[in-house]
Amino acid sequence: MAVLTAFRESTLWRRRRTRRWIVQSWFGFGVALVLLYVASRATRLQLGLDFMGDRAGFAIGHQWLTDYTGSESRFNAYAVGVFNTVRLVLAGLALATLLGIVAGVARLSKNWLVSRLATAYVEIFRNTPLLIQIIFWYTAVLLQLPNLERGVEVLDVVFLSNRALAVPWAYPEGAFVAWLGALVIAAAASWLAHRWRVATEERTGRPANPNTTALAVFLGIAVVGFVAAGTPLRPELPERGVAGAGIQTISGGMQVTPEFSALLLALVIYTGAFIAEIVRGSIQALPRGQTEAAMAVGLGGYERMTLVILPQALRIMIPPLTNQYLNLTKNSSLAVAIAYPDLVFVGRTIQNNAGYAVPVFLAIMATYLVMSFLISAIMNWLNRRVPLGGR
Amino acid sequence: MVTRVVVQRSPALRARRWARSNLFSNAWNALLTLVTLALIGFVAFVLVRFIFIEADWSVVRENRRLIFLGRFPQEHEARIWPPIWLFALLAGGSMGLWGRVNARGAAAIVVSVVLVFALLAHGANGARLGVAVVLAGGAYLLAERGLRGEAAQVRARRAAIAGWALLLPFAVVVLVAFGGAQTSRLGGFLLNILLATVAIEAALPLGVLLALGRASSLPVVRVVTTAYIETVRGAPLIAWLFVAWFVLPDVLPPVFNLDRIDLVLRAMVMLSLFTGAYIAEIVRGGLQSVAPGQVEAAKAVGLGGFDITARIVVPQALRAVIPALVSQLISLWKDTTLVSILGLTDGLGGSEAAVSQREFFGRQREVLLFAAGVFWVVAYAMSRLSLRLERSLGVGER
Repeated sequence: MAVLTAFRESTLWRRRRTRRWIVQSWFGFGVALVLLYVASRATRLQLGLDFMGDRAGFAIGHQWLTDYTGSESRFNAYAVGVFNTVRLVLAGLALATLLGIVAGVARLSKNWLVSRLATAYVEIFRNTPLLIQIIFWYTAVLLQLPNLERGVEVLDVVFLSNRALAVPWAYPEGAFVAWLGALVIAAAASWLAHRWRVATEERTGRPANPNTTALAVFLGIAVVGFVAAGTPLRPELPERGVAGAGIQTISGGMQVTPEFSALLLALVIYTGAFIAEIVRGSIQALPRGQTEAAMAVGLGGYERMTLVILPQALRIMIPPLTNQYLNLTKNSSLAVAIAYPDLVFVGRTIQNNAGYAVPVFLAIMATYLVMSFLISAIMNWLNRRVPLGGR
Repeated sequence: MVTRVVVQRSPALRARRWARSNLFSNAWNALLTLVTLALIGFVAFVLVRFIFIEADWSVVRENRRLIFLGRFPQEHEARIWPPIWLFALLAGGSMGLWGRVNARGAAAIVVSVVLVFALLAHGANGARLGVAVVLAGGAYLLAERGLRGEAAQVRARRAAIAGWALLLPFAVVVLVAFGGAQTSRLGGFLLNILLATVAIEAALPLGVLLALGRASSLPVVRVVTTAYIETVRGAPLIAWLFVAWFVLPDVLPPVFNLDRIDLVLRAMVMLSLFTGAYIAEIVRGGLQSVAPGQVEAAKAVGLGGFDITARIVVPQALRAVIPALVSQLISLWKDTTLVSILGLTDGLGGSEAAVSQREFFGRQREVLLFAAGVFWVVAYAMSRLSLRLERSLGVGER
């Protein structure tokens, strides 16, 4: 004891730097011990990635553009899973943002009925578990649709049934890549045209229609390029057919499975409710003078919103919006509940067949980390680009 | 001073003026009103027709045991009542001590009590529910009317807070200890409630420690805690639950049978570890909101590092983030449904099990709507409570 007291009173312990290093060493030592222990236990688990090269041996339910039969490697199966997650997330992000902005603006509408409806939407869907919503859309709505024989048809080109939603689609052929190049040129030219018209507007003080000009330039080059490349898109209509044993099938066009539709619906409606709250909060955070000034210069309701309020609210909106985007990305993993073959579902199937729980879960986590990082990076870039306005 | 002249108008005229300014101020607005009306009418028609005509709610009534308790053993069913009674007592008392119940709140409470009775009051349960109602009402009246003087108020509030803190341990002991149910048999909404409360109470201290670690000036501590927080937040909860299912038992030390804990306990552990990372980020925001002057003042009066953190910084940080913590609790409450993917019979898993019986085939709409309704009521009540707390704490008003 005497030694301890002496040590505590010595200059060595009293010096901040020494104390900091002692504390940190002990902390690091403890963490290292725990990790080592886990690693030592984990040797009983299978490690390594060789198993990913083996033949997968399970088919992945047919989705639009992919048809994985299981004869290829597990790596390819996983890649299909990642592709399925990415397309679900991208569609979800776009639609949820749209719905969220509409609902958020509607909540602030002067029309009592509209604002009440938007409030009800937000409060109902935000406070209900997403998993229940997914299962509800899937089992209680989409799977209850009539089967293919009695399914809903719109003008013989759109088919809605409990098997799939089939719509016309155009597939690339021939000089498609060349046309993509033309599109890039069109985008660059329309950007230049936009800058030129804005500069003219500022010089002369008269409206010079920058948006219309830019759109016209883009469409012009795109259409000319499309014809020049020999119309490199082949439109395709969904068609009914009969497989052996008289089973009805549908082929062609774009076919969306009920699993995908259910997930997309649920993710969009759920996340849209959260985004609506963010939009509302950001608009309310703007000084009232902005609205009043916009009214004073004679802008109408729509222009007031799109030209004055939303661009400024955007700056406040982006950080919490990023959070919701990340949530949507992670929530897409609830696909396992209804067997949509996303990356978690495929990963689980691989783990079920081959074991190797630790490498599979590490791969899943690494994939989500990469996706989260990409979304954060893009949103941070956007955040820096949007000017801080209003104050 | 502006003097307002109040002109009495007939209600009909007032209603017309209100409708004109709020619904039909111009052509666009009128169109919007009509479209919205049509939409609301359609949704209301579909819902009302379903709820009162098409739906067969017997699937919920017949399976209420499965949905509320899962596979909880029948012989231990009486054990769920003491925690419920304590909860009723505390809820009634707290409402009397802190809240004012307005007409709408009272109506909501009466409606939910009636619904609960209609659904669950069969046999002895009716009397037991009656006990809960009497306890809540009695505690409310006692707290509202029976307390004389400031000292009694303060003592009662302290007792209530202590009661809330003891509710969860009490419930766990009553349900599981002394030859009670095995934890693996916990189920239904009871499981959702237990998962959420256990996880939030375990995650709070973990989250505070992680947040302090991330804000620490010691690089090793900061790197380790940041890595933990970001890794956990980077992957979806369902992936972590799979880890708990397949990997956790293999890395836990084989003492106290930790390596053989059942799925319910694994889910509890993982939900706590998961929520801890999110709470850490919330608390970090709170730590940053504590004015630097507070720390300087504490140093000036001679407090040591530990005392400054534990008595000055953390309490103020937590007070500032109470609304965010309630949001986290709400999202945790909704997320507990994910354990049904692991095959546990929670509220959602029980509902799905109910429709897998042949006589209730195809009744998904009824059970899913019912389960969603139960989750919604609790989540919505919590979000209202959070708004109220926000106002009474005066966060953001200083």
